[in-house]
Amino acid sequence: MLYFEKRPSVPLYLKILMPIISLAIGLIIGAIAIYITGVDAMEVYKQLFLNAFGSWYAFSETIVAATPLILITAGLILVFKMNIWNIGAYGQYIMGAIFGSYFALFMSAGLSKPVMLSLMVIASMVGGAIWALIPTLLRIFWEVNEVITTLLLNYIALYILKFLMYGPWKNPTSYGFPLSKTFPQTAQLPIIFEGTRITIGIIFALIAVFIVWFLLKKTRFGYEVKVIGDNPLAARYAGINVNRNIMISMAISGALAGLAGIVEVSGIIHFLQVKISADYGYTSIIVAWIAYLDPILTIIASLLFGGLSSGGYSIQISMRVSYGIVGLIESITLFSLVGAQIFLHYRIRWKKYGT
Amino acid sequence: MAHDIYTTLFANTVKAGTILLFPTLGEIFAERSGILNLGVEGMMLIGAFFGFIAAHSTGNPYIGFIVGTVAGGISALIHAFISITLRGNQIVSGLALTIFGSGFTTFYGQKWINMSINNTIPQVSIPILSNIPFIGPIFFKQDLIVYLSYLLVFVMWFILYKTSIGLNLRAVGENAKASNAMGISVYKVRYTWTFFGGLLAGAGGAYLTTAYAPFWLDGITAGRGWIAIALVIFAMWDPIKALLGAYLFGGINALQFQLQASGTTIPSAILNMLPYIVTFIVIVISSIIVKTRHIKPPKELGIPYVREEK
Repeated sequence: MLYFEKRPSVPLYLKILMPIISLAIGLIIGAIAIYITGVDAMEVYKQLFLNAFGSWYAFSETIVAATPLILITAGLILVFKMNIWNIGAYGQYIMGAIFGSYFALFMSAGLSKPVMLSLMVIASMVGGAIWALIPTLLRIFWEVNEVITTLLLNYIALYILKFLMYGPWKNPTSYGFPLSKTFPQTAQLPIIFEGTRITIGIIFALIAVFIVWFLLKKTRFGYEVKVIGDNPLAARYAGINVNRNIMISMAISGALAGLAGIVEVSGIIHFLQVKISADYGYTSIIVAWIAYLDPILTIIASLLFGGLSSGGYSIQISMRVSYGIVGLIESITLFSLVGAQIFLHYRIRWKKYGT
Repeated sequence: MAHDIYTTLFANTVKAGTILLFPTLGEIFAERSGILNLGVEGMMLIGAFFGFIAAHSTGNPYIGFIVGTVAGGISALIHAFISITLRGNQIVSGLALTIFGSGFTTFYGQKWINMSINNTIPQVSIPILSNIPFIGPIFFKQDLIVYLSYLLVFVMWFILYKTSIGLNLRAVGENAKASNAMGISVYKVRYTWTFFGGLLAGAGGAYLTTAYAPFWLDGITAGRGWIAIALVIFAMWDPIKALLGAYLFGGINALQFQLQASGTTIPSAILNMLPYIVTFIVIVISSIIVKTRHIKPPKELGIPYVREEK
């Protein structure tokens, strides 16, 4: 019979191959899914690739899509390492966008651009952190399952946004569309590459990755996070303040998701609307996994999935292929990745009965 | 006249509650066997989608309901394979299943958007019982699927607490290793109930599109899968309490629509938020109760079982 034999250590080549194979499986099954609908799958992938990486402009759009992913994933890594499941990045992203937009929409009179943008950035991080700390406190004090609460808070955040967009924050001249007024110039993030939509947001993202890397690799906090993730009971016995570490990580995670929200709204869209994300909140979970919860690899993984997302939008318009294909490829990649973890830690062996 | 309004409200409560009751029951049994499946929302979407298409193409809503149910079960097998055979992380695999259900139905559902089915599952009054004042029209002037759900709650309760099947199921969720030593096939039990959980999630989704909202929209389940997962904790892994929880939330759903139809001044975003807020509050309260009364979830919930390692 087949049985699994534990590997003494994980070989490097497998660690490199696994995400590549997983993504390949995602793409192959995605191709079959497209083929069934009678569309030329190869052409779709060609267009997808060209629209994601085929030219400097296409690539710049991929960077634009990757920016929120990098920000959100950098934070998620911290909490996932402790086996805390923050599935609420989407809600934290929305709350960040709402908190930051408040200043852009109602407090912009007479403020200079640096002051305005600083206020917005801080507000968005506070908004995201608050949205992440509610479920964290509930978990710490009453063991309320954070998977469910963070998820429900996604929906609550979305309806708060809808309420604002259809009601008090709606632009009276938007002909009934649920949009806010356009942000004044002083509330729009500056573009750093002329002719693209890449804003200073990408710098925030790289700084966030550096901070998370530094925290994890160079500080006592990072060491404690690792111990908690490996064995929370042992961590407690060793005198590590588990709850405090969970709170700090969740606050950082929420703040970064919130920042991603304002980076998108203030840098790309320039007004608030009901639909302000391409499911970044869920995609970032996949990115975190495919990057082995490593901050540096997060950048590469974010560019891949940012490309999938920006290319996906383009083919939706040019080839009339539903954007759902992106979710399909992403989920199958995630399935293969989670399922294939076993091959990292085990070898498959064949054994006859009785031996 | 006021009586009529309440009767309608409560009858709709049962209908809306049935959508949640199926997946909640299914997840209770999957979790009792030790498998946490966060893919309920995705499985419901798949059930809703295939149920809708089958009902649309055959003109028969019962066929739709059955097809949707089976589709939900099949989708659960992906999660079963990854979390049982490959011992993958159940949280991530379940999330992947939800993303999959959403991506799959968005991708293939494009051409069905805003289409509707003409024949929904019809109402069948039960003689005598439906004549009981107030109770009759609420519980016994429903459709066959609602009656099926009453039966299912009772049967599942019976199986769980009064049969050896239920005993084995609970044993596997509490201590897989000891169950295996007693000769129970842990893998078989977990596969069975994860599949069953998928069937019921699919049933909930299919009931939504073949009886409650007979049209197709992207993401038509609107988070009901997550509410069902929350209801499992509210129900403390008990089928009878699941019934109460499902109707409580069905009531909120029904009330929300009744208010909207009556032209209330409450903004619709606030009304739509209501189920999530209430779920949030309820999950906090039930978690505190679970904690203070020392009610424990299945001990090995979410932990993969490894047979070879002794």
